[in-house]
Amino acid sequence: MQVTANATYSIMQNNLNQIESNLQTLQIEGSTGLSLNQPSDDPSVISPVINARQQITETGRYITTMGATTNQMQSTDTYLGSIITLLGKAQTEAQSAVNGTNSTADLSSLADQVNQIQQQMMQTANSEINDQYLFSGEKVTTEPFTTNPNYSAATYNAADSTTWPVLYNGDANQTQVEIAPSESVQTNLTGNELFLGISNSNWNGTTTAASNQPESGKVDIFTVLSQTAAAIQAGNVNNASGPGGGIENCIANLQTAANQVDGLRSQLGNQAATVTNVTTQMQSVQTDLQTTLGNYQDANSTTVFSDISNLQSAYQAALDITSQISKVSILNYM
Amino acid sequence: MSGLTAAINAGATSLDVDQTTIEVIGNNISNMNTTGYSQQNVQLSSYPSLTMGSFFIGQGVQVQDIQRAHDGFVTNQLQNASVGLGYANAQTDPLTQLEGVFNVTDNNIATNTDNFFDAWQQLSTDPSDLTLRSAVIQQGQNLARSFNTAAGSLDTITGNINNDITSDIPQLNSDISQIAALNQQIYSTGANGQSDNAALDQRDQLAQSLSQSLGVSTYLDNNGMMAVQLPGGLPLVQGTTAMTLQEVTNGSNVSLQLNSAGVVRNLSDSDFGGSIQGLLDVRDQTIPTALNNLNTLAYQISTQVNTQQAAGGGLDNSTGVDFFNAPASSANAAANMTVTLTDPNKVAAGAAPTGTTTVAPGDNTNALTIGNLGNSYLINGTDTFDSYYANITATIGLATSQNSLAVTGSQDAVTQLKNMQSSISGVSLQDQMVDMIQYQQAFQASAKFLSTVDEMMNTLSTAITT
Repeated sequence: MQVTANATYSIMQNNLNQIESNLQTLQIEGSTGLSLNQPSDDPSVISPVINARQQITETGRYITTMGATTNQMQSTDTYLGSIITLLGKAQTEAQSAVNGTNSTADLSSLADQVNQIQQQMMQTANSEINDQYLFSGEKVTTEPFTTNPNYSAATYNAADSTTWPVLYNGDANQTQVEIAPSESVQTNLTGNELFLGISNSNWNGTTTAASNQPESGKVDIFTVLSQTAAAIQAGNVNNASGPGGGIENCIANLQTAANQVDGLRSQLGNQAATVTNVTTQMQSVQTDLQTTLGNYQDANSTTVFSDISNLQSAYQAALDITSQISKVSILNYM
Repeated sequence: MSGLTAAINAGATSLDVDQTTIEVIGNNISNMNTTGYSQQNVQLSSYPSLTMGSFFIGQGVQVQDIQRAHDGFVTNQLQNASVGLGYANAQTDPLTQLEGVFNVTDNNIATNTDNFFDAWQQLSTDPSDLTLRSAVIQQGQNLARSFNTAAGSLDTITGNINNDITSDIPQLNSDISQIAALNQQIYSTGANGQSDNAALDQRDQLAQSLSQSLGVSTYLDNNGMMAVQLPGGLPLVQGTTAMTLQEVTNGSNVSLQLNSAGVVRNLSDSDFGGSIQGLLDVRDQTIPTALNNLNTLAYQISTQVNTQQAAGGGLDNSTGVDFFNAPASSANAAANMTVTLTDPNKVAAGAAPTGTTTVAPGDNTNALTIGNLGNSYLINGTDTFDSYYANITATIGLATSQNSLAVTGSQDAVTQLKNMQSSISGVSLQDQMVDMIQYQQAFQASAKFLSTVDEMMNTLSTAITT
């Protein structure tokens, strides 16, 4: 078999090209840090990579959502605390009206205090975060509580919520946000439940009386405060059929109101604890997913760099040999 | 006397032959880098001997023929291997372009889909926020645009392939007609008992090039003329007659026809091999499949989102409003995908109002449902939008990586065969140099012989005159 210069050079050329092309692939891997740069680099990992990326986006969203939810829950909790404080203050005022001897002027002054507490309660009930009412259900842009223009102590009917001193204009829908796949938490408390003592299922709207009223163990905080003021004003200590139903009765109702708020507060607290747990869990899921994604698409830099230096040596050797070939020729001997 | 004269003649033939051989060696060296050139060898034979009494005395040497070093078997194998190389090589460019369309970077249709459904999830945390509502529309527009771009790029790649095919045709026709012309030339030379080596080399070279581009097979007929056929059996060259290929534009696609002496025949993809078949396969199979899947994906996203968006209610209590323009079918769904919803208030984050109720601004139920569409197995019940995209991309990736293997494999095969051919037909410098020395010395010897005979004749004539 004869060996021609043509064949020799074409073999060298092919080898040099091959090494250069492999070197280029490795250099791309090294500079991007990714082993998956084109679909053809490894078609089998495309599905897992895209899936992992999707889950990372989702998990990131859940973590962000939970952060915002926690903030909202903390604000709500602060407001719930001040509601309980207000109710405590009202109790103290009522207690002062019962204890000791009070003149009519003293009683009026105490009743005024309670009325002011009711005003503050209204403000708290209508509090907003980011221009959205906290206690209006899903009607976040509607002021939830307004004074009932038709209220009169004479026509007040505990069974008919439209005769109560304050009207609720929100709705009975709790906002649920997703904090994990198929796992939602309630982020708000509805005004009807918190302030009026009307379960969400019994709420029928502002202008329709709520069903099954009054509910046992629940009170309308605004009615209680109005009645307390009326009872103190009249100095009615324990006449159940007198004005305000009697101060002692009102004190009991104020305690029920505080319990009502406390119950919902601990419910919210539990939700907040769930959110904190899930946040931690999601953060570790996020880390795992990043690792998984990395395993699929990241280049192993140690391997890449050692491969590059190997190939560079091979390239150097191939170039050396190519230059040696041209030195050996029959022409040197003629 | 006749002895010395005959010796002069015999010596003179040697000088002629040596010069011719040196000429051939010179030609070989000159062509050592010419593609397709076969090393030529001088075939020598001695002149018929004359009877001198009871002896036969030779009359010198003559060049019987100048032959090229050639192995038909290797040449045929090289032709066959070229078909595979042409097929694989032609697909590399369009497949690489396809990989760009269905990429796996952080910015592709799947990530845009993720971002779109993520915007809905984000909206669910604050459904009355107009900024978040606008963000949903913007992400929808991004998604639609990425579909439009992908569909447009597929069209561009198809167009590029059509251009490639069209621009190849004149060269192919020229090669085909050259083979027919060379057939004529080789036949005429052969009729005089000579071989037209340069023409034979050139014809082999053209046949190999046609194998690579069209996948043709060739054989020699009784007259030594090369017949060229398409893989489907249709003749391109018969004797000295050449057919021509012509293109017809068919909508946006180019198809090919064979014109044989005025009779026009339509050619299908299966009539070809080599690079033309490689290009046609990508154009008529890979790209339509990818486009089809892309359209299905766009159609499914559009319809599923529209259905759920229409089922919910906007801030302005609107219901039944489409988000994307509603595609009638999956045909062209990717190219035509746009967001028709422009008013952020109409983004249906909440449940549809029933009776006299209105949509509460804080109602996020529908946003959550739409946000979760991205996770649902909505395509054939087996694929999410993302996994469907991943499948399309993996198919392209697989085709490209197979192509890359095929290119390397067929390139290796062709290189090996070329080396084998080179070891048979190529010009070896050292052989030529050694031959050159050999014939140079033969020339010196013949010259010395002639001068010796001349001296002998001089001696003889001096003896006669004295």
